Amino acid sequence: MTEWARTYENLPYFLDALLTGAVMTVVVTAGSFVAAVLLGLLFASFKTSRSRLLKAVAYAYVELFRAVPVLTQLFIIYFGLASVGIKLDPISAAIAGFGLNGGAYLAEVFRAGIAAIDRGQSEAAIAIGMTRGMALRCIILPQTVRVVLPPIANFAIGLLKDTSLASAVAAPELSFQAHMLADRTFLTTQIYLLVAAFYLAMSLPLSSLSRLLERRASRGVRA
Amino acid sequence: MISAHTLALVREWMPQLIEAAGHTLTMAVFAYLLGAITGLLLALGGMSRRRWIALSCRAYIEFVRGTPTLTQLFLVYFGLTSFGIALPSFEAAVITLGLHYAAYMAEIYRSGISSVHRGQQEAAQAIGMTRREAMRYIILPQSLRVILPPMTNSAISLIKDTSVASLISAPEIMLRANDLASQYYMPMELYLITGVMYFLMAYPLSLCVRYLEYATSRSHRLTAAEATT
Repeated sequence: MTEWARTYENLPYFLDALLTGAVMTVVVTAGSFVAAVLLGLLFASFKTSRSRLLKAVAYAYVELFRAVPVLTQLFIIYFGLASVGIKLDPISAAIAGFGLNGGAYLAEVFRAGIAAIDRGQSEAAIAIGMTRGMALRCIILPQTVRVVLPPIANFAIGLLKDTSLASAVAAPELSFQAHMLADRTFLTTQIYLLVAAFYLAMSLPLSSLSRLLERRASRGVRA
Repeated sequence: MISAHTLALVREWMPQLIEAAGHTLTMAVFAYLLGAITGLLLALGGMSRRRWIALSCRAYIEFVRGTPTLTQLFLVYFGLTSFGIALPSFEAAVITLGLHYAAYMAEIYRSGISSVHRGQQEAAQAIGMTRREAMRYIILPQSLRVILPPMTNSAISLIKDTSVASLISAPEIMLRANDLASQYYMPMELYLITGVMYFLMAYPLSLCVRYLEYATSRSHRLTAAEATT
């Protein structure tokens, strides 16, 4: 029997295992996405604050986490922390790793978004008695949404694909399920092609969403 | 936490890690060259007037950008063996990363080329250049200003992405760190050192990007000012 016939015969079983993995991929992606957005907002507000200490902290965070591979960060969090007594399960380690890494990336996105808003907006907000924090939260950030949405959608696509690295710390997501199936059946080509199809099915809707957002954002600018 | 014993070990690890960092850079350079050349071909192919060339280039770009590097790496390294092609892990990593980045670089070239005003193309053809000559002498040189900063950003991402090659046991710094970490059971120390070494490779490039962005936007302002005077 050829490899392809064996694949066809076992297809329901493969799809079942990969679907379980895909659900976990979505969970890891969603968890790290939320963490990254929160960290990104926090450090972007540090970057725009008047305190030099907060600025320095934000600068160090962004530069460090953007210059080191996410795989290295993941290993520091999963294997490194375990060796000093902090044992995280693979899923939490993955969410922490991708969240911290993504936070550094999104902090820059948010900072650029905030910089794109006219200074007069925050001056006007302060003039009517808002604190700087209130001005940022109620006036500036809502206006940055249109600018930052397209890069955020692109970030989400990148994140979805990056979560495949969580398989290296045995988080039971799509790629990990694929390794297990491939090890057991030796149908490597067929299984990884299926996996590619799964990732495409998840990322293509996101990328058409990002294209839509980009078109909308640029239309707003022209108007 | 840092004892004399740890320091002695670090001194023992460093030569090995530095050698492996050299392999990381070699891998990144070869993959970058492959990506830059293939990316340009893909970008030009995507603009081709022959529909099937344009469509297959677009499909390739969408497939590569929609799937993880890791999946592609496994397809090339493990998958090709079922067609009788067994690549060594280092070569498999260079090819996969190169062809992966080609898709991203194609988009960079495309946006650079489309940033050049249409009139340039029309003027070039009006003075008798072929489409190919216009691209080679008129469009591409002018698109460099838009292309250079994101192309340098790609170099940074590529250096970091070579770490994924450790998962098919290609010899580079992350694999060496994994080996040493399991040998000495000091993962925290080893991965932190590895992180610092990646930082030393990537950070200078990110300063480059910042300079390029500054320099290219300045020359843009200058030409705009010259145009008005």
